[in-house]
Amino acid sequence: MLLNPAPPRDPAARGRLSGALLALVILWPLFRAAEFKPGALFDSSNLKVIGHFLAGFLPPERGAEFLAYLGKATLETLAIATAGLALACVIAVPLGYLATAAGREQPTLNPLTRSLLTVLRGIPELVWALLFVRIFGLGPAAGVLALGLTYGGMLAKVYAEILESVDPAPAHALRRSGAGRLLAILYGLLPQASKELASYTVYRWECAIRASVVMGFVGAGGLGQLMDQAMKMLNGGEAASILLTFMLLVFAADGVSGWLRRALDTPPAARASPFGWRSISFLLVLPSAVIASFHWLEIDFGELFTAGAAHSIGEFVAGFFPPDLSSDWLARVGLGIWETLAISVVGTLLAAVAGLLLALPKWRAPFSFLLNTLRSVPELVWATITALAVGLGPFAGALALALHTTGVLGRLYAEALDNAPAAPGHALRLAGAPAGLSFLYGTLPGAAPQLIAYTLYRWEMNIRMAAILGFVGAGGLGQLLYFELSLFHHAQASTVIIAMLILSIAVDQTSAWLRQRLR
Amino acid sequence: MTLSATRRLALKGALACAFASAFASSALAADAVLRVSAIPDEAPTELQRKFAPLGKYLEAQTGMKVVFTPVSDYAAVVESLATKKIDLAWLGGFTFVQAKIRTNGTAIPIVQRAEDAVFTSRFITADPTIKALSDLKGKTFAFGAPSSTSGSLMPRFFLQQAGLNPEKDFKNVAFSGAHDATVAFVAAGKAEAGVLNASVWDKLVEQKKVDTDKVHVFATTPPYFDYNWTVRGDLDPALVKKLTDAFLKLDPANPEHKEILGLQRAAKFIPTKKENYEGIEKAAHSAGLLK
Repeated sequence: MLLNPAPPRDPAARGRLSGALLALVILWPLFRAAEFKPGALFDSSNLKVIGHFLAGFLPPERGAEFLAYLGKATLETLAIATAGLALACVIAVPLGYLATAAGREQPTLNPLTRSLLTVLRGIPELVWALLFVRIFGLGPAAGVLALGLTYGGMLAKVYAEILESVDPAPAHALRRSGAGRLLAILYGLLPQASKELASYTVYRWECAIRASVVMGFVGAGGLGQLMDQAMKMLNGGEAASILLTFMLLVFAADGVSGWLRRALDTPPAARASPFGWRSISFLLVLPSAVIASFHWLEIDFGELFTAGAAHSIGEFVAGFFPPDLSSDWLARVGLGIWETLAISVVGTLLAAVAGLLLALPKWRAPFSFLLNTLRSVPELVWATITALAVGLGPFAGALALALHTTGVLGRLYAEALDNAPAAPGHALRLAGAPAGLSFLYGTLPGAAPQLIAYTLYRWEMNIRMAAILGFVGAGGLGQLLYFELSLFHHAQASTVIIAMLILSIAVDQTSAWLRQRLR
Repeated sequence: MTLSATRRLALKGALACAFASAFASSALAADAVLRVSAIPDEAPTELQRKFAPLGKYLEAQTGMKVVFTPVSDYAAVVESLATKKIDLAWLGGFTFVQAKIRTNGTAIPIVQRAEDAVFTSRFITADPTIKALSDLKGKTFAFGAPSSTSGSLMPRFFLQQAGLNPEKDFKNVAFSGAHDATVAFVAAGKAEAGVLNASVWDKLVEQKKVDTDKVHVFATTPPYFDYNWTVRGDLDPALVKKLTDAFLKLDPANPEHKEILGLQRAAKFIPTKKENYEGIEKAAHSAGLLK
């Protein structure tokens, strides 16, 4: 090409190398705490065990009695997700209204509502479910309430942010001309934000279906409860049938929610009435789905508001105060925090590496399928499998997180790389750089901020997951919580829940700070 | 479209509110139903299968409709008994002690199986080098549920007496959640050793659901009091009497009764009293499971 410059040197090499070394030094103790031993994966006796278990997946169980159970559980899962999200909306709309700065003349932080939202979101839904199972007894009511609270918190936060992110001018104008705040939001902001609000709500419904499966693991009904049993008994055939059903459900929910979101993007037909066939059918289906869900679950919320229930809830909650702050117990919880942190970091990092590798190939079809499969199996289910593969302990938890997260991140990475500007990479290729280098120096830097942001967001979710993976024997805070709650040691359990809350807030903050620094 | 989407959102919220309140007002209070549950020490489907004939028998004896709710969490059964969501429950020794404490001493144990007066737990392993409790140091170990008597509390107590602290001396401790799951854990190599209720072990061996060439018993605990049927304290005394009599009347000579007793793995039912479980309460305190 041009004059060949002296030996080609990478100008960024030194900075990147020292960055990588620094990261390694920081991460090393975390890898140690997660008992990171990839060798265990290839241990012959472990391979035999997991081979045996996976061989049991075929043929999937097809007995009539089991299929009847499965059908019922599937409906229950759908109903829990729908009813839970309906409840979440009821919680989120007023809280979002209170929390958001939108439509206010003076900016306010509203610390009370904001911290309530943080508490609602920061405690994993599984923990809420575990508590509600105790208060409201057996059955799906606990799952619905748990979903309602956590998702209510999440929806409220996102609703508030969406309302803040749209153009405030119309609302301002309305306020100036004397309209109240509610009216200003309704007529000034909602028209701009409605699509995004509806789209996010639909996306959350999809997530609720996944989550309601997981909640079955603590006895809140649905597919998860069946899965829990099948996995505990290591009954491969049943597990395979349940997993297949679950994947179908997730794909279907994915499809429905995609269709709905596309429908929202369709420009309105040139007709007098804004209501087309989609809106009409949606308006008919939605309420009937919500009614049917509550009906099917036979939830009697009236019972919640009786004096007896209030008394027993009060007594139950009072048992959690004061939390056990003895130094002995704090030391054990501290160890649990460390282990949980290690599981989440190692799991997310492994997933980032694997996800990037799987996002690279140009021929997408087989890789998309692989990523979708990885993603549609919940972490708790992966954990029961990885526990067989590498033995019980934190590494099994980290691997389980990594497998699920690889599916999620791989897909997001692939999209981000697609959207990254193509010109720099092209230019490097034309200048004669090999494909690898033109990717590293041309394409990657353009996509990196997006990749890092996705990874950090995922880490925030994984810390919550890591906290509960202990329920299936992966160590960390989850195992402590499960054990103490089983024994009615509420003061100790309360310390663990507070620790989970603090950990998830701390991770949120760290991740926000890192995102800002790396931008 | 944006307008209709706004409307949709508003409508959605309004509808959700309306339905929530509509459902809140429907109260139900059907009497003449006996609500029964059991700690999930085995798979819930297995518990339902075992209970079906007993449920029919109790229906005939009390004239009430008997509803059995399967659960997957031990503590939920205790809590439901305390909050009066169930009337009659099959509890383990330790869960009974928990229920007694949660109900301020009002829960009444009515009957137990003859076998429950001299119950034992079996330590099992698939590893031929484990021959005694002391060989368990540094191994992974599976208990049943944390609040199981025969799968957690009493083994822990006897391990402690043998000088072993599970949290310190074992490499990893897992809670399989149920006795048959513990066998599955050990057979699959997920845990190197485990402990379970002798009665479930014997049943699995009888039904050939476990390969005894591979998984074997290497230790058995001394006997203790375990399972019973407990009623909540404020149940009508006449009904309590009826239930107690119904259990005590079960006679192995009667073929119909024999089936029920067989499924419950009981030679016969005998009366029991709170005092029988004081030993377990002491063990729970000394093993640190009760505070």
